[in-house]
Parts: sequence; C-alpha cells; structure tokens
Amino acid sequence: MADVRIRPVTELDIEAICRIDERITGKYRPDAWEDRVIYYIRRDPDSSQVAEIGGRVVGFMLGEVRGGEFGLEEPTGWVEFFGVLPDARDKGVGRSLIEALLARFKSQGAHVARTMVRSEDKDIDAFIRRNGFAPAPVTALEKRL
Amino acid sequence: MLAGTLKAMTDEIRMLPKAYHDAVEHWQRHNFPEYPQLTERWQQYFPKDAEFCLCARLEKDMPTEIQVGDRKGQPKALAPKELDKEAAEQLLMIVRAQASTEFGSIQQHHGTFERANDPQDQTWVLRVMAEELRHGYQMIHLLTSADWSKWTDTKPQDMVEEILSMQTGSHVLAAFNLEYDSFGDSIAFAAFIDRVGKYQLTMQKVNTYAPMAASMPPMLREEAFHLAAGVIPMRRWMEAAARDRNATMDVPTIQKMCAKWYGRGLEMFGDERGGATNVKLGLKDLTNREAQDLYIAECGKMLDDINTRFVRARLAHLSRDDADKAYARIKDGKTVEGIRRDDLLRLPDRRFFRRRGEPAFQMIGHDGEQFTDVEEYIAHVLAHLPEAYRASIDVKHWIEMQRKVSRGEIELKKAINSMPRLARVGGACPCSKSVRWVMDVPEGTSGGGERLNP
Ligand SMILES: CC(C)(COP(=O)(O)OP(=O)(O)OC[C@H]1O[C@@H](n2cnc3c(N)ncnc32)[C@H](O)[C@@H]1OP(=O)(O)O)[C@@H](O)C(=O)NCCC(=O)NCCS
Ligand SMILES: [Fe+2]
Ligand SMILES: [Fe+2]
Repeated sequence: MADVRIRPVTELDIEAICRIDERITGKYRPDAWEDRVIYYIRRDPDSSQVAEIGGRVVGFMLGEVRGGEFGLEEPTGWVEFFGVLPDARDKGVGRSLIEALLARFKSQGAHVARTMVRSEDKDIDAFIRRNGFAPAPVTALEKRL
Repeated sequence: MLAGTLKAMTDEIRMLPKAYHDAVEHWQRHNFPEYPQLTERWQQYFPKDAEFCLCARLEKDMPTEIQVGDRKGQPKALAPKELDKEAAEQLLMIVRAQASTEFGSIQQHHGTFERANDPQDQTWVLRVMAEELRHGYQMIHLLTSADWSKWTDTKPQDMVEEILSMQTGSHVLAAFNLEYDSFGDSIAFAAFIDRVGKYQLTMQKVNTYAPMAASMPPMLREEAFHLAAGVIPMRRWMEAAARDRNATMDVPTIQKMCAKWYGRGLEMFGDERGGATNVKLGLKDLTNREAQDLYIAECGKMLDDINTRFVRARLAHLSRDDADKAYARIKDGKTVEGIRRDDLLRLPDRRFFRRRGEPAFQMIGHDGEQFTDVEEYIAHVLAHLPEAYRASIDVKHWIEMQRKVSRGEIELKKAINSMPRLARVGGACPCSKSVRWVMDVPEGTSGGGERLNP
C-alpha cells in the first residue's frame, strides 16, 4: 500500500472533495459540498475523514453517529458520502477511510454501522461488502408522488 | 431522543459553582445580548444538532504521562500543586490570555452582529459567539475548580473578576483589541484569528496539567466549525465577485480585510524567536516559529482554495484541469483570460504591518518590498488597509509608533509593548446594583467546589 495518511476532514478540504466528486460525476458542485462539509464538521469533525497521498487529498468519507432513525433507536454509525480519485483506487485508500470512520463510531458508542447503496451502484456495493457489511433486515420502500 | 440526534459521548460535563456561573451569565447579559436568539435559530439552522450547553467539557481517556519537555514520561499533574513553579506560573498566564481571547472575541462580534446581510452567516456567527462563551467558561473552570493558592496570591474570584472586566482595548492580545468595521470582519476574523486559536489549542493538547489538556479536544471540535464559518462565506463572496462585477464584497475589499487581520494573527503566536520554554515545561509541543510556519502555509492554502472558487466561476467553460492550470499561471504572475494576479487574493508578506515579534516595525511592504522612507511606508500600508479601519485609534497609534521607531525617538521594545488607549468605560459590571461581576463567593474560597452536571 502506498503511503496513505488518514486524517479528519477540515474546511480546507472542500475544494479537494469537489475535485474528487467532479472526477467521479463530472459535475462541479461547490455549494452542495460546502453545505455537507460544514454539516459534518459542526456535528463531529473527528468522524469524517480524508485520505492523502504525498500531501494530496485523494479520497474522502463523510459520516457520523446518529440515533433514532428508521425506528432504529440504537446509536448507529452512518457512512454517507465517499469517493476516491480514479487514479488512486485499488490501493486500499477506501478501506483505510472506512476503517477510520468505524473506529470513531465505536469510540462514540455505536455498536453498528449502516449505509445505503442504490441497487445500480454495483461497485460501491462490492466495496461496502468487502469491508464487512452485509444486507440489513430492513427493506427500503418508496412511492412516487 | 429526537430523531437523528445523539449527544456526544466522549466528554465529561462540569458546571461552575453558582457564583461563577452567575457571573458569566451576568457578563453575557451585558456583552452578548444576542445570546437568547440562539435557541430559536438553533431549531431553524441546526435542528438535529445536540443542544448548546454553557458548561465545561473534559475529554476522557487522555494520556496520563507528560508528552514533551524535560519531564517527558513522568505523570501529568492532576492538581496545580503537582506542577513546577515555572510551569504553574506560565500556565496561569496562558489560561488568562486564552480566557481573554474567548470573551474578547464576543465583544468584537457583538459590535457588528446586527449589520449582517445574510441570515445564515449571521446565525453561524451567533453559534460561534455562544461557543466562545463556553470556551471562556472552560477557562474559568480551570481557574476555579482547583486550588492555585500555592502559586498565586490572587484569589480565584479576583482572577475571574479580572477576566470579565476586560474590554476591547484592554485584552491581553492585540487581535482582540481591534474593533470590527463591518460584519465582514466577523468572517475574516473566523478565518484568520480562530485559525490561530486552533493552533494554540492543538499545541496545548499535550499540556502537562491534565485538566488543561482534557479541555482542548472539545474546544477544538467547536473551533473546526468556527473555521468553516469563516472560510465558506469567504468562498461564496469570491464566487459572487467572479460572477457579478457589482458584488457587494469585491476582491479588493476582501484583500484589505486579510491585510487587517493576518499580521495580528501572526503576532498571536508570540515572538518568532520564543516558545522553547513552553515546550521545555511540557505546556505546548511546538515553538512559536514552528507553529507560525504551519499557520502561514495553511493560510496560503486557504486563499488558494478561495481563489480556485473564483477562477472556476469566472472561467466556467474550462475543465477542472484547465482551470487548475490557469490558476497556477495567474499565481505565477501571468494574465489569463483577463484575470491578473491582483484580481485574486494573496497572502501579505509575513513581515508586513507588524508591530510585535521579530519583524516589528521593519517597514516591509505587503508583497515583501523594503521601504526606507517612513512616510512612504505609512502611505503604502494605509493603501492596503480597509478604509474604515484606517480611521481607527489603532492605526493612528501604529503610525505614531512607526514614525518614532524609524526616527529613533523610541526604543523598539517600548514601541512593541505600547498599546493604543481606547476610550472605554471601566470594565466592571455596568449595573447600578453592583460593582463586580463575581458576587457572593464565600470568604476564603479557593476553588474545588464545582458541581457535576445536574
Ligand atoms: C468505492 C471506492 C470508494 C473504493 O475505493 P478504493 O480506494 O479503490 O478501495 P480499496 O482499494 O480500499 O478497496 C477496499 C476493498 O474493496 C474492494 N473493492 C473496491 N472496489 C471494488 C469493486 N468495484 N468491486 C469489487 N471489490 C471492490 C477491494 O478489492 C478491496 O478488497 P480487498 O482489500 O479485500 O482486496 C471508489 O472506487 C470510489 O470512490 N468509487 C466511486 C464512489 C462514488 O460514486 N461515490 C459517490 C457516492 S457517495
Ligand atoms: Fe474559542
Ligand atoms: Fe473560535
């Protein structure tokens, strides 16, 4: 594994996160990432993490511990937004990020971590499962209005 | 429990004894009258966040052995009496200065709070102010929750009284004696001055006095938000400036705010040549210059990010890679599609407009140019400062000192230590019914009487 440094996200990572998102989705969405990053920073700046290689931010993962969602009362560590630059993939960056989030969740009193993956995102699904997640006994239902 | 809400589980919560708690709340009523708005705005802007609590928070599970300095490896002090004399005295000064910054910044934000033109920015600043109040509370907790009588003759109630009596103009550090010219200063202050706070708190995480070290992580988590509350509005100003030539915040205005605050931020690290004693005593883990160098690099990174937002908005037709290349060329001094270096933000030279530390009064220009004629230098500095600030007592005082130093009419050391006299009402409580903030402390109280969170 290359020299990957994992550290908590800061306000000075917003532009790097925009850059990674832009590589993945082709869209520049600074407002959306500013809103998201300040949300996680103000709730718990030690949960969400970025990965650096040679001083360059190549990946990020945003998430936090919450309780009481979906009727699931127990404190739950939610893995919510993440991405790794295409040229930095398959080097364990994603794994290092998720491990850092899970460690923080545990120290915050969570005994379970959860995430939601859209069925068409096969790659993300595979990555998440490789990191020890299994389908939860919950079915997501929706109705178009 | 509210849906999606969870209280942080890592800190231990402490309340001050009633007399001190009341004194802080009393101070708040006079200096921070906006505070009651927090509850309602919290519901609107931070609906699922854990509620704000005016209390001291101590991180659990911190290292128990001294991490730096001469006594590295020995057990940390749990009570003041276990400290060395020098460390104890130095620490008392640090706590007093830290407390002064916390309460001082509220007074500064208060000055222009009502003039904010964006409700979200204003609410962020309101939260910052409340958290600064909590930080001040935390410092008072350190002074009053333990017995310091071995190291100082000052009673805890008098230490607290002294802290609460400081006004803009009598604070320990210059950055907290500058009045704001507009609400924009709240933003620039959060981006530049709270950032120094982050460095100080981070360095003190190793502090040899265990309660001081344990006070830092909860404060740092709040500080992370303060920095975002400064940087994000600045990013948005720059985006607006790129799109709209009549944006209310144009680049020269933002640049001048940077010039106003940056030098004061650099000076908060203390003299560039100092800080080794604090490391030796196990109070901090970096010397002044080491910390300042990191800060300078970080401010440069901040402006690069903000400038990128401008370039992306102005040159929206360029791909990310091409925009990054364009910015690199502009930074290098080239003009790209009409954008010049001066159209973007840049960090002033670290020696520009300095009044303390190694480069104090050295007549170095905004971009590093050396001046020999004092009047030319003053004109140069004034041209780089915000107009409203130029008319302040602070700038007037600097001009006097700069002239005297350059003409050899005052010793450099005296000029460095000279503070502008701001005409200020005395700092005691303005209520007619009392002359002190701290009241009803039983005689002979020397701390230790704290109560746990009810
Ligand atoms: C998913 C993603 C984060 C993986 O990052 P990465 O740094 O390449 O992951 P790692 O190298 O740490 O891989 C960790 C494990 O997951 C596995 N994995 C990763 N991607 C995989 C895939 N597409 N299929 C199967 N397994 C995969 C790896 O093989 C590895 O397993 P191993 O350690 O047992 O060999 C990255 O591909 C990505 O950013 N994808 C796009 C994400 C996205 O669209 N985000 C927006 C929605 S929030
Ligand atoms: Fe603070
Ligand atoms: Fe702050």
